[in-house]
Order: sequence, then structure tokens, then C-alpha cells
Amino acid sequence: MTTPTGITYRKVAVPSNLERRAFLFMRLSGAALLLLAVGHMMIQHVLNSSQNLTLQFVAQQWSSWGWRVYDMLLLFFAITHGFNGLRNVLEDYVHNRNAVKWINRFLFVFAILTIIWAGIAIATF
Amino acid sequence: MQVHIRIRRFNPETDNKPRWGEYTVNDVNPTDSVLDVLHRVKWEQDGTLTLRRSCAHGVCGSDAMRINGANMLACKTLVSRIAKPGSDQAKIQVEPILGLRVIKDLVVDMDPFFDHYRSVLPYFVNDNVPADGREFRQSPEDRARFDDTTKCILCAACTTSCPSFWANEKYVGPAAIVQAHRFIFDSRDQAAEERLKVVGDSFGVWRCRTNFNCTNACPREIEVTKAIAEVKGVLARGKI
Ligand code: HEM
Ligand code: SF4
Ligand code: FES
Repeated sequence: MTTPTGITYRKVAVPSNLERRAFLFMRLSGAALLLLAVGHMMIQHVLNSSQNLTLQFVAQQWSSWGWRVYDMLLLFFAITHGFNGLRNVLEDYVHNRNAVKWINRFLFVFAILTIIWAGIAIATF
Repeated sequence: MQVHIRIRRFNPETDNKPRWGEYTVNDVNPTDSVLDVLHRVKWEQDGTLTLRRSCAHGVCGSDAMRINGANMLACKTLVSRIAKPGSDQAKIQVEPILGLRVIKDLVVDMDPFFDHYRSVLPYFVNDNVPADGREFRQSPEDRARFDDTTKCILCAACTTSCPSFWANEKYVGPAAIVQAHRFIFDSRDQAAEERLKVVGDSFGVWRCRTNFNCTNACPREIEVTKAIAEVKGVLARGKI
């Protein structure tokens, strides 16, 4: 009889719950932030010196829609990534399921409101 | 050489909280293990000292303890590894593994640990009859995929070194994930999907923050964190 060779890859059904989606989102938003947040740091604080970050400078940047879109993407990914990370950390220590539920609702609403009001500020500056 | 050993003691019948017991043991060989030193304390100084051990040779997994702040098997940890090189004295501190209820001295309640172990169906599942009527055949490459995780002796050093488990004992823990990995990656097994339901749950692999305590703790040198990451990969991709 011959010996089987090679690796057998198999497809499997996996539970697609919130936690799995959150994990995938942390990787995706992490990759986005690697470009956006590191880019932001380099452009605003290294290439432009922090002393130049005046109201006029911001106004001039946000007169271009390119910068507005960049900053809105940074806003969206930083807030969603950060709040989801915070949810993850809190779930380690808060053991009461009901309390977890309410904390998650609060974080969700707070994150959405932050994105909305900061988004409006960027769009209408 | 001379060993000063500090042992976390707790007798539920007389103590309301744990205390330190301090002992000095003389004429210790550098090649003696920490378990040998604990035996000398128990046999020569205080017979009430309570601990688990069976094989004394790193096989049974019953004597995982926190030795000088890190989880190890007492029987596999030589005094020479702890003493400063060239010194004829050693200071050793021994505590029960963390995150499980202390029953007495170094003995903890392992039930939550073994409940998590059982939850991942840690046994081979395949109800079919092999094609040749005799055995399920497997390529060396397929066998190699789970070789590392076959080495586990269920000592609990990994799970009780994990901050996520300390924070929440509902977390299934590294050891149970290692066991799940052992069977999920076995091409002959058929219960991967059921196991993935358990380790893909909110108290499954997602509690892991990749901090490598488990890999450092494992006395069998299993790459525990890597095994967990591979199970995460299966859950992310839907492919083994
Ligand atoms: C270079 C940019 C960044 C990258 C590549 C990145 C990547 C990641 C990844 C991959 C995780 C998941 C870790 C895990 O699953 O164990 C994570 C978690 C987290 N991130 Fe980020 N991140 C970045 C920036 C940020 C920023 C700007 C914030 C704050 C707004 C943030 C807050 C968090 C928090 C709170 C967690 C959860 C930590 C935990 O679960 O213990 N990250 N990050
Ligand atoms: S993986 Fe290693 S540390 Fe964890 S229970 Fe198994 S042998 Fe012990
Ligand atoms: S006594 Fe068996 S592993 Fe240490």
C-alpha cells in the first residue's frame, strides 16, 4: 500500500459571531491605522513641525476635500478600533452579563455620537 | 549547597488567609530538583506540607507551581537553574499556580481547568470504517501539523500563567485550546466543527491577547501561542 503524501486542506463551517467579526475588524482597522495614523503622525508632527499646527494651517488643509476624507477615515477607524478594544478589555473584568450588555450599548452610542459630531466638524469647518 | 525556601502555605482548617512558611535545607545537590527540596521539607521538617506529584520526572503533569514568580514543574526545575552560578546558596520561592482556588498549601482545585479541557471534546471522533477496514491512513505532512500539540501533559502551567484566565476563569484557556488544536488539525478527525463552536465562542480563543506567557510556561516546550493563533486562523478563514 502506498503512503499518502501532502497536506489535506479541509473547509469547515465556523461560528460567525460578534466576537469573530470584532477580531477580523481589529486586524482590518489595525492595517488601516498603520497607514492613516502613522501617516498622520509623520505628516503633521514630523514633516510639518508641531509649532505650525495653527488654526490657519488646519483651515488651509481642510479647504481640500482630500484632507477631509483622510481625516474622516482616520476618525472613523481610530474611534471604532479604540472603542472596540476598550469593549474587549472591559469584558475581561466585568463578569456580570447584564452589566456587559449595558456597557456595550453605552460604548456603541458614545462611539457613533463621537464620529457624527467630529465628522460634522471636519465637513463644515 | 544550602537552600532557603519560602513556601506559600494555607491550611483551610486553621488559617483564614495564606501565609509564608520559611525553611532552610542543607546538603542539597545542585542537580536536585525543586521537588526534591520540597520533599526534604515535608519529610524532615513539616509533614503537613501538602503538594501534588506523581512521576517526579516531568511526565504526569501534577506538580506545576509558581517557582520564583514563573510557572514550572517542580520536578523538572533543577536547583542549579535557580542558584546564582558559583554560589553555594539558593533562594527559592514556591506558590500554588494562580487563578484556581487553593485547597491546601500547593494543591489547587483543578475542576474548572478540567471542565474547560472536557468542553473541547479532547478525543478522536470518526465513526466511519476505514477504507481498508483496518486503519485511517495519514500522510507524514498531515501528521506533522499537530505534532507539537500532542506533547501536552495537562499540567495547567500555561492556563494559570495567562492574564486573560486570571481576569476571567470562564476563558477556556491555552491548555484546552492546545487540546482542541491537536484534534482540529488531525485530518482523520471529524468533529472539528463542534470544537470550533467551543473555541470560537466569546470565551474561546478571542480572549487571547498573544502575550506569550503560556509559551514561556510550558514545560513541554509546546509553542502554545502559535497553536492558539493557528486555531484563530481556522476560525477566520473557515479552512483547516
Ligand atoms: C499603528 C496603528 C495601530 C495598529 C496596527 C493596531 C493594531 C491592533 C490590533 C491588531 C489589535 C488586536 C490585538 C489582539 O487581538 O490581541 C489592537 C487592539 C487594540 N487597539 Fe490598536 N492598533 C493601532 C492603533 C490604535 C489606536 C490609535 C488606538 C486608540 C484609539 C488603539 C487601541 C486599541 C485597543 C484599546 C485595543 C485592545 C487591546 C486589548 O484587547 O487588550 N489602537 N490594535
Ligand atoms: S500546553 Fe504545556 S503548559 Fe499547557 S497544560 Fe499542556 S504541557 Fe502544561
Ligand atoms: S511529578 Fe509528574 S510531572 Fe512533575
